[in-house]
Amino acid sequence: MSMWGYVILAYGIVWGAILLYVVSLKRRYRAAENELQRLSDAKES
Amino acid sequence: MPQVTGKKRKGILGAATLVFIIAGLYWGLVKAPPDAYQGDSQRIMYLHIPSILIAYLSFFLVFVGSCLYLWKREKRDDNLAYGAAEIGVLFTALTIVEGSIWGRPTWGVWWTWDARLTLTAILLLIFIGYLMLRALVEDESRAASSAAILGIIGFLDIPLIHMSVYWWRTLHQPPSILRPDKVPWENIHPELLTALAINFVAFVLLYFYMLSLRLRLGEMHEEIKARRMR
Repeated sequence: MSMWGYVILAYGIVWGAILLYVVSLKRRYRAAENELQRLSDAKES
Repeated sequence: MPQVTGKKRKGILGAATLVFIIAGLYWGLVKAPPDAYQGDSQRIMYLHIPSILIAYLSFFLVFVGSCLYLWKREKRDDNLAYGAAEIGVLFTALTIVEGSIWGRPTWGVWWTWDARLTLTAILLLIFIGYLMLRALVEDESRAASSAAILGIIGFLDIPLIHMSVYWWRTLHQPPSILRPDKVPWENIHPELLTALAINFVAFVLLYFYMLSLRLRLGEMHEEIKARRMR
């Protein structure tokens, strides 16, 4: 593999993993927000 | 109203993070020249050094949160430790992967049982154990206390990692940034240092963006539990 091959592999893995983590974090965040909203609505009704 | 302000602050932080990530990629991959000895593989260092510094910062926050939790028993401190541990594991794993990819063309091996590498792998295993403990122990108070003790012990590995290159003969070179005898700009060419600094700022901003999301997520889980109990 060329030097640039190693560089691209490293940058790809790092930014790919970070992106996956941020997306999963946002999904969990949204799910928790929706659950809180659902509990508020259930309490009001 | 405070909710809107918090969202706005998170938006500004997210936008600033994105700007620095793009600038960091440009400086790291285009603007900075290749290293005189290592060639282009040195560009991996613009990710590797910020990753390990962010992992250290994260585990320092685990240490602070864990000590405060054992002292005051406040859920807020446990939430800080738990959130920081999760992100710390991500950045430690990335540090090992980046180091391995850099090591192949530079040292000729993907992995070697060097003191610094081995101690970093131990750090990762300790904090994977921390996350497993949080996930598997059902009694939350017991899980938080046990994890706090493990978090404090795990943090003590960091001074060992840092000093390992001085205490033992290692393949890993001594630090370029955190060294007692020289400041970074005496040690690294300004163009390479600029690329490193921009990437470091990008990682710090990204870290605080992720941590703010993760802390709020922990708070929301507590609110959900409290509302279900009522």
